Amino acid sequence: MIFEERQIEKNNFSSRAIFLFVIVGVSFLAVLFQVFALQVSSYSSYELAALNNKNYAIPIQPLRGEIFDRKGHVIVRNEPTFDLITQPDLITQPESFLELIKPVIYLSEIEEAQYLKNFKEKAFVNKELVLKRNLTTEEIARFNVRSFNFKNVFIGKRHRRISDHPKVFAHVLGYTSRSNNQHDLSMDIPRSHWVDAELTYANGLIQGKTGLEETYNHHLSGTHGTRIYEINSRGRLVKTLEYYPPKKGLDLHTHLDIKAQISAANALGDRKGAVVAIDLQSGGINVLYSAPTYSINKLSNGMSVDEFQDLIQDADKPFFNRALQGRYPPASTIKPAIGMFGITNKLINWSEEIDDPGFFTLPENGRIYRGWKKGGHNNVNLQKALMVSSNTYFFKLAYQSDMKDLASYFSSLGFGSSVCRDCYDEDSVFVPSPEWKYKNFNVPWFTGDTVNIGVGQGYLVATPMQLAHYISILANKGNLPKPALVKVENQSLDSNKSQKINLSTSDWAKMHIALTAVIESDFGTARSIRNLKDFQVAGKSGTAELVSLDSKEAYLEVRDTELLRDHSIIIAFGPMPNPQYAVSVVIENGESGGAVAGPVAIEVLKSLLNE
Amino acid sequence: MSNRSAKIYFDPYLFFSLFALSVLGLFFLYSASNADTSIVLKQSVYIFLGFAIMLLVSQADPDVFRRTSLVFIIFSVLLLGVTFLFGPEINGAQRWVRLGPFSFQSSELLKLALPIFLANFLFDKRLPIQPREIIISLVFIFIAFILVARQPDLGTGLIVALSGLFVLFLSGLSWSFIGGAFIALIIFSPLIWNVLLQPFQQQRIATLFNPESDPFGAGWNIIQSKIAIGSGGIFGKGFGEGSQTQLNFLPETKTDFIFSVIGEEFGFFGVVILLSIYFFVLMRCLYLALNARDRFCRLVIGGLTLTFAANLIINLCMVVGLLPVVGMPLPFISKGGSSLISLFFAFGIITSMGTHKKFLPQ
Repeated sequence: MIFEERQIEKNNFSSRAIFLFVIVGVSFLAVLFQVFALQVSSYSSYELAALNNKNYAIPIQPLRGEIFDRKGHVIVRNEPTFDLITQPDLITQPESFLELIKPVIYLSEIEEAQYLKNFKEKAFVNKELVLKRNLTTEEIARFNVRSFNFKNVFIGKRHRRISDHPKVFAHVLGYTSRSNNQHDLSMDIPRSHWVDAELTYANGLIQGKTGLEETYNHHLSGTHGTRIYEINSRGRLVKTLEYYPPKKGLDLHTHLDIKAQISAANALGDRKGAVVAIDLQSGGINVLYSAPTYSINKLSNGMSVDEFQDLIQDADKPFFNRALQGRYPPASTIKPAIGMFGITNKLINWSEEIDDPGFFTLPENGRIYRGWKKGGHNNVNLQKALMVSSNTYFFKLAYQSDMKDLASYFSSLGFGSSVCRDCYDEDSVFVPSPEWKYKNFNVPWFTGDTVNIGVGQGYLVATPMQLAHYISILANKGNLPKPALVKVENQSLDSNKSQKINLSTSDWAKMHIALTAVIESDFGTARSIRNLKDFQVAGKSGTAELVSLDSKEAYLEVRDTELLRDHSIIIAFGPMPNPQYAVSVVIENGESGGAVAGPVAIEVLKSLLNE
Repeated sequence: MSNRSAKIYFDPYLFFSLFALSVLGLFFLYSASNADTSIVLKQSVYIFLGFAIMLLVSQADPDVFRRTSLVFIIFSVLLLGVTFLFGPEINGAQRWVRLGPFSFQSSELLKLALPIFLANFLFDKRLPIQPREIIISLVFIFIAFILVARQPDLGTGLIVALSGLFVLFLSGLSWSFIGGAFIALIIFSPLIWNVLLQPFQQQRIATLFNPESDPFGAGWNIIQSKIAIGSGGIFGKGFGEGSQTQLNFLPETKTDFIFSVIGEEFGFFGVVILLSIYFFVLMRCLYLALNARDRFCRLVIGGLTLTFAANLIINLCMVVGLLPVVGMPLPFISKGGSSLISLFFAFGIITSMGTHKKFLPQ
């Protein structure tokens, strides 16, 4: 019996033990199945997850392309500069470290505070931290002698964006600055990694802010490189796994001419104004200058807040690009356009003369519109009217014109639209018309408004760029490639030449003769500049009135206030009879157009021709 | 009787498979500790000590354990009491007791004492075991569980409870009782969840089902462990080449998550080999249990082996993301002296009970 009972007990135990071991076996299979699912079925996604854990890609900043003038001289380049760089993870006490290095390298309070502020974060992950930018050669020498004391510090090569003519080219080139939005720089590197970018520029991740630097930012920027680090779970960099070098941005070859630009700046001196010069064959802009100006070197490489505020608050508005954004009444320089309009619409012909008593009386209400010369110019035809700048002739011609037709004629000359292909922030201004006036002032158009426009006053305003474009069309007898700053490879001239104005060959010849007479004849209004050169120049000067006055005596009172004085304007082209360049000059409050703006235009033309 | 002193009680199958596990474990630990030789050296000393203890313990006659089972469990409980009164608090838990230069996790002893004590209590009872005996056993199990669980160490507490329940089940607990208990457990599970589980324990269970809900908090361990294992692929990244391990993305590589290290560096291939050795050990123990000389030995071998199996499976399931994260080392491989010594002690007892034969009275 005992034996039987034992046997029952043993069998009972065996079945129960086997039952539990089957559960154990099933559990083993479950684990094995799960491991198989992880390691074999989902291997690729977990492999990727492990790589994402340990790989940390950071961008390497590329060099920007350089900018050249039309003769291949560099205008903006990348200049090597040296920064003092530390490795915070190797420095135990930042405060005592600073005390140690201060006798060697001068540090401002701001630099010290900035360093201590960022120290902890950079030390935790072993990343570099810049202590001082733009070391002087003296500082580099002092540090190199003592570098054995500072195992955790080294001098790193960076670059600065430098122009040898930082003020002369300020507006046209523009400046770079640290970019706030790095997102558009890269898709393949997570946005958060950009703070760790390997810098090529001392000023950090820079981007074109204005001028050509902005317009062609994409072209100049280049492609960032990538360094893939292995990091541990704390984010410390362990080693470099992969390295892809950055690609330098493309260079920019412009139509600008360093010599001519400098001559424009010198000729303008410390007066406010703008100069634009255009190559008639290519439409290339050789000179684009605005004064007063500022230094792009300072702006691109870190300017103090105070300096920047001073520039912004300067009453002369140095940031304002007068060449592209200044709105000036064209004054008498519009007269050739009015004349061409009259010829085209058969309102006048070249031989028809009118009497100029020195003023024009509006038939509707008897209002008097005065010329600049008391007593007038007697009998004048179109050619003489242009040469002596008869107001009466053009008051009368404008009076005969339909304003709508005249407005569309202005538009075909480029007024009211941006005429430059690649200028930064060009003001297109507007062409005044009855609709325009009603929309803006809620007042109908009067005939007197048209009469004023006949001499380039009243509602008509234009930028120096638009004036240069307009005189270039005249110089080129009706056609012109769209003006541009940057050369386009293999651009065929004809495809870009568009006929803007249709005039007969003899009409063009007469127009050029008339405009040459303005400067070259004994009676021309701009004859004072005749002897400044040894080639013939055609043009038209103008004096833009800021205050509408009835008599010369009244103006003498007004001119005591400098900012109310007339603007001096000239548009010119040469050498005649086969012009190559056209130029427009505006000098704010310069008075008398020909005598003041004229010499500037001549200097620029001389500089462009003397190549 | 005369040749008794001359015989050495020794099971070569168990001995060599445990030796293989321990030696492999040293290699894994070397990689998991980022090549820290001092840790490996310390562990090998424990392993050497463990084998000595195992050999020594297996020489004792099973009756020695039966007769001393009461003393053993009283000693274990006293040790828990000492821990409670004097043990240092580490990470908010009192689990360790210091004996001179050694620290010992006192609950490890109870994992051995409880099944032996219950086996002694139940081995001579007639089948089927009576409600009175069931209740007495359950009271013991419950007290042991509470003692460990309030350290707090829920994982070990459950293992201790399981070690008792295995013996109770193997000794012939009626199926209807088991069924009833199971239904009761399901009914009272909301109560257990809300009353017995600490918030951090609830969090761990919740995290298991959706680790991505908190990838940098509670889910971190499970996510990183799965990445480590999954990225190991079929043949692994190679010894010392696991990026998850070496760059410290994987937590607790030396202890609870050492299996992930093996998975990452040796792949599915390595995992299969490792699990095969474990499975062989379990099968050998089952064989010894079925062929043991008496009911007491059968119950003890069964109870200790299944406790070992439960320990192993809970660790594996936790690491591969099938169970919530509970502190549970991988037997014979994870770093830790107490766990190793008590494992070798247990296998010493198993060897003793499996190899001592007795003339069966007819």
